[in-house]
Amino acid sequence: MTTQPVWIAIAAYNEGSVIAGVIEGVRAAGYAVVAVDDGSADDTADAAERAGAAVVRHPINLGQGAALQTGIEFALAAGAEIVVTFDADGQHRVSDVAVLTAALKEHNADFALGSRFLGGTLNQPLSRRLVLRLATLFTRLSVGMNVTDTHNGLRAMTRRGAQRIKLRQNRMAHASEILHQVAQSGLPFVEVPVTIEYSAYSMAKGQKLTDALTILLDLFARRLHR
Amino acid sequence: MIAQLSLTALLFAVILYALSQYRRAPAVGLMSMMVALVGLYFVWLPSHATRLAAFAGIGRGVDLVLYVWVVISMLMLLNLHLRLRMQMEQITSLARALAMANARETSSRSAP
Repeated sequence: MTTQPVWIAIAAYNEGSVIAGVIEGVRAAGYAVVAVDDGSADDTADAAERAGAAVVRHPINLGQGAALQTGIEFALAAGAEIVVTFDADGQHRVSDVAVLTAALKEHNADFALGSRFLGGTLNQPLSRRLVLRLATLFTRLSVGMNVTDTHNGLRAMTRRGAQRIKLRQNRMAHASEILHQVAQSGLPFVEVPVTIEYSAYSMAKGQKLTDALTILLDLFARRLHR
Repeated sequence: MIAQLSLTALLFAVILYALSQYRRAPAVGLMSMMVALVGLYFVWLPSHATRLAAFAGIGRGVDLVLYVWVVISMLMLLNLHLRLRMQMEQITSLARALAMANARETSSRSAP
């Protein structure tokens, strides 16, 4: 395994139909990719491997948070200087990765968080917008960080920053948990405008209002023990 | 009388369980022991339960026992939930270690 400075960590669960395209796009831009197959039932792992990613396979489905943590740890073990989390469904632009890594250097930050509300969105439905605004408000109040988009899957972190991330929320509540740990680490972070492209595919796989309730319960339970 | 005898037998079983649990989890053992003893007391002296209930502003002793039981089961449910989460975290660590070990093996095999 050659040492690459920038690693892209992609968590994928049953994304066999789109994962190859996403990975090829990222590989073409010259980044190393680790795809964490979160116990998919389809050919996600094979497709990712063929597309040129290092593949880690969870033996069982653990959730996106767990898969991201695995990806981050794999990237660190592989010697990554910068780890970027990237969604598997093709909603992020590969060109935004360079924007994030540049922002890390420029602002001397350890975390660069993508924000669709600073940047642009394509085809974002109103309902999705409202749910995200509410989620952002909730996280701002509970974590105490002033960020505009708390649930963006595109983030870059330095090695030092990535070592401080220890996700224990296996499911979707990890988005708030990452921010919480960023705040706890006391390391500098910067928000960077990125573009999210909403497609029928990403909408079908995305979070709905009912999932927000599950996330709230997860976060509440987290506060209760330890 | 039948109800009192069978309840007594059951509560004695709880006391035995509490004794066996005491070394492993003192808090759980002590709590179950106390619940069982209070239960025994009220089974044989229901009028005291009624008096206590009246003091707390509840009509009947049975209702008091019922309310307390609801609260206790909620707490047990919460405790169980937290324990399940802890177990899930352990499973996650295990699965992650396994996945990482497998990934290393694959990459070292495919390396020239």
